[in-house]
Amino acid sequence: MNELIRLESIVKVYPPNVVAVDDVTVSFQKGEIHAIVGENGAGKSTLMKVLYGLVPHDGGRIFVEGRQKHFRQPAEAIAAGIGMVHQEILLVHQYRVWENIVLGQEPRGWFGSTDVKEARRAVGQKIEEFQFNLDPDALVGDISVAARQKVEILKLLYRNVSILILDEPTAVLAPQEVPQLFSELRRLRGKGHTILFISHRLDEVVSLSDRITVMRRGKKVSTVDSAATDKRELARMMVGREVVLTSQRAAHSPGTAQPCGGRPVCEIRDLSFTDSDGLVRLSRVSLRVRAGEIVGVAGVEGNGQLELVNTIIGLFRPDTGQILINGTDVTRLPIIQRRRLISFVPQDRGTMGGSLSAPIMENVIMTHHRLDRRFSQWKGLLLNYRFARRFTDELRDRFSVSMSSKLAPLGSLSGGNQQKVVLGRELLLDSPFVLLDQPTRGLDVGSIEYVHQQVLRIRGEERAVLLISADLEELFLIADRIVVLHRGEVAADLAVEETTVEQVGYLMLEGRPQPAQQPAESP
Amino acid sequence: MSRKAITGAAGIVIALVIGALIMLAQGFRPVPTYQALFQFSLVGLAPLATTIKNSVPLILTGLSASIAFASGPVNLGQPGQLVMGALSATAVGLVLHLPPGLEILALVLLAMTAGALWSGLAAFLRMAFGMSEFIVTLMLNMIADFFTAWVIAFPLMDTKAYSPMTPQIASTGWIRDIGGFNGSIFFLLAAVLISWFVFRRWKAGYEWRLSGQNSLFARLGGCDINRNFVAVMLFTGALAGLAGGLVVMAGPHRFLKGLGANYAWDGVMIAIVANNGLIGAVLYGLFFSAIQTGALGMELITDVPSEISQVLQAVLVLVIVAGRKYLGAVLDRMEARRKAAERAA
Repeated sequence: MNELIRLESIVKVYPPNVVAVDDVTVSFQKGEIHAIVGENGAGKSTLMKVLYGLVPHDGGRIFVEGRQKHFRQPAEAIAAGIGMVHQEILLVHQYRVWENIVLGQEPRGWFGSTDVKEARRAVGQKIEEFQFNLDPDALVGDISVAARQKVEILKLLYRNVSILILDEPTAVLAPQEVPQLFSELRRLRGKGHTILFISHRLDEVVSLSDRITVMRRGKKVSTVDSAATDKRELARMMVGREVVLTSQRAAHSPGTAQPCGGRPVCEIRDLSFTDSDGLVRLSRVSLRVRAGEIVGVAGVEGNGQLELVNTIIGLFRPDTGQILINGTDVTRLPIIQRRRLISFVPQDRGTMGGSLSAPIMENVIMTHHRLDRRFSQWKGLLLNYRFARRFTDELRDRFSVSMSSKLAPLGSLSGGNQQKVVLGRELLLDSPFVLLDQPTRGLDVGSIEYVHQQVLRIRGEERAVLLISADLEELFLIADRIVVLHRGEVAADLAVEETTVEQVGYLMLEGRPQPAQQPAESP
Repeated sequence: MSRKAITGAAGIVIALVIGALIMLAQGFRPVPTYQALFQFSLVGLAPLATTIKNSVPLILTGLSASIAFASGPVNLGQPGQLVMGALSATAVGLVLHLPPGLEILALVLLAMTAGALWSGLAAFLRMAFGMSEFIVTLMLNMIADFFTAWVIAFPLMDTKAYSPMTPQIASTGWIRDIGGFNGSIFFLLAAVLISWFVFRRWKAGYEWRLSGQNSLFARLGGCDINRNFVAVMLFTGALAGLAGGLVVMAGPHRFLKGLGANYAWDGVMIAIVANNGLIGAVLYGLFFSAIQTGALGMELITDVPSEISQVLQAVLVLVIVAGRKYLGAVLDRMEARRKAAERAA
């Protein structure tokens, strides 16, 4: 076997306790294109940064051509022939292409001055050799992003790097620029270079790479030959949520619930919102959530979900339209008055759902401290800390949060426990309407299941739930109806039993229903 | 809590050692110098009373800055708020003649109001025009500085004096010594207690603290961010104004040129070393005052210039702030290593 690099039992913990890479062993062969795939936060970038010497590892060993290496900084990795192109392109825009490429390793002429002629010749030769189609004299500020990426790659080739690490190289490219990059990468492979590339776009991974390593939550799931796999299998390995699937299906039985729920609790009528750049983000959105009903909002990220949430909660003021909760028009009410009617679990615990540096107790009592009289003393001037402690204990017990102390900072809890604190706080408000924005994002399987159970429980309490989720499986698991947002418009409003994941997926991408395909119906 | 105490104590020791090295490099003997420094600030009733009296403006401006920074608003206007407080107490004290207790109370309240109005101006500009309080409070410092300089050189100048200063205020407005200790300490104590109570026990204080840590979270939680901003500006302005009033009433009983000195900037520095904690502000305020007070006496019996107190303060700030970050990073790294070892096993 032609093993070039071997990473053995690599462990990386970001202080104080985030395990980013968890005992990963993987090897890369000479002359292959090897993709590293995984969801956000799976540890792909960190693993590659460890190899590149950018991030020190806490455990494990690195072998290059059989010899153990320890790179303390990228320069040492580059000297050993390993180079990395970051997701953000780091070039001097005011310099020309050739200047950027030789920067830091200029050929020297008289009295230590840069030998311009030699530098231009060397750069030109590299461009020629790899057929990169670049003008060495162009200003980097004037060329396209795709061309800048080539400059980054050439920078490494100029330093005689034979192993290239590319961190999500296609993320910054337009779709039509991707094939050109890929053909260049294949050409590099043809010249004996080894390419490691990070991605979470499965299409490109399957078409470009020879082998694929899948990571999930810091661990390696598997390394497979791309010829022997397909997108579906990769997706399953990446997400790995079948466990949740089965257990939740049993808990959720839409057949037993009344078909349309009860009275309407949340009614949104003709909501439109234009952002500060003049882009229409919501266009006449109408939807209704009844008591005892979970309505899911599906959509590709950036199709109006953020604006919908922010107009409901009161961060944005809509151009037109109405938001009614229990018959009260809240469209122009201040946030505190909405909060009497709306429980809100935002998608980001650290910036919207809580203060990670504040004690758990002070996170738990937010909003309650204003709405619940029991938190008041001295005509509302003083905060009743004794009751706050009791309330925190109650939340801890009812939502089984494991915490060592009520006064420990929220950030010291695990992600799942943080989410329990936020979810518990919001569900303990006795509001009729519950707005959940990606409540399971970034959680482990067990916590996801817990959140789902809680959401199903409050549905049983005849509260109305609006659940925004990027995870279609989640919506199909617990929602009663699914509203599809496409470019700020409601593309469809469907009962879960009457649709399929494929149909909703098509609606999310195209904004219109999938044309019928059954051969029986098209004679 | 213990972590704070350790960094504080270690910081003070390291700062004193560095100060000693600086003295050695200049040919002074550190041990007798430190001996003199603390003899004149801490040993005996009179030095101790002086140190505590001098700590009043330091602690009050330190509290002001701590509460502001911990709540979000970047109120850097303590110098301006302090001199405006001092000027109002002086101006009214020149013409108002009430019985002793009442006169003192009236002037103290007036000084607080003046400080609050001066910071309130910055709050207003922020609310009305979205101007950053950071820059506005700094600019208002300049205006206050030159305005007071003009007032004491022209309209309120004492014609018998040789340098710009006002005449003395009504003697009923003087805060006198009680059993060797100046009466302004009582106002300091009251201010510290009230500040602590408002900040740690009031609902408003809870909202201030949470807004300071994550204002979006507080806003979504239903806190009125704008009202809290204005309240914090007024409260911290009043604290700085009080410092100014007390300086005049306890000390020269008039507004002298350069009266504000460096009190308020030292207060900002105290807030930084105290990491915006209230108790920390009190303790560091006392320590800064001890260094400054002792330095004056030290200068009398040693050759070391009293400016060494500023060197010590600066070193202390650097050592403690750097030490705090460093200790935190070290503890985090130890935790990470422990976790990694756990995984590897």
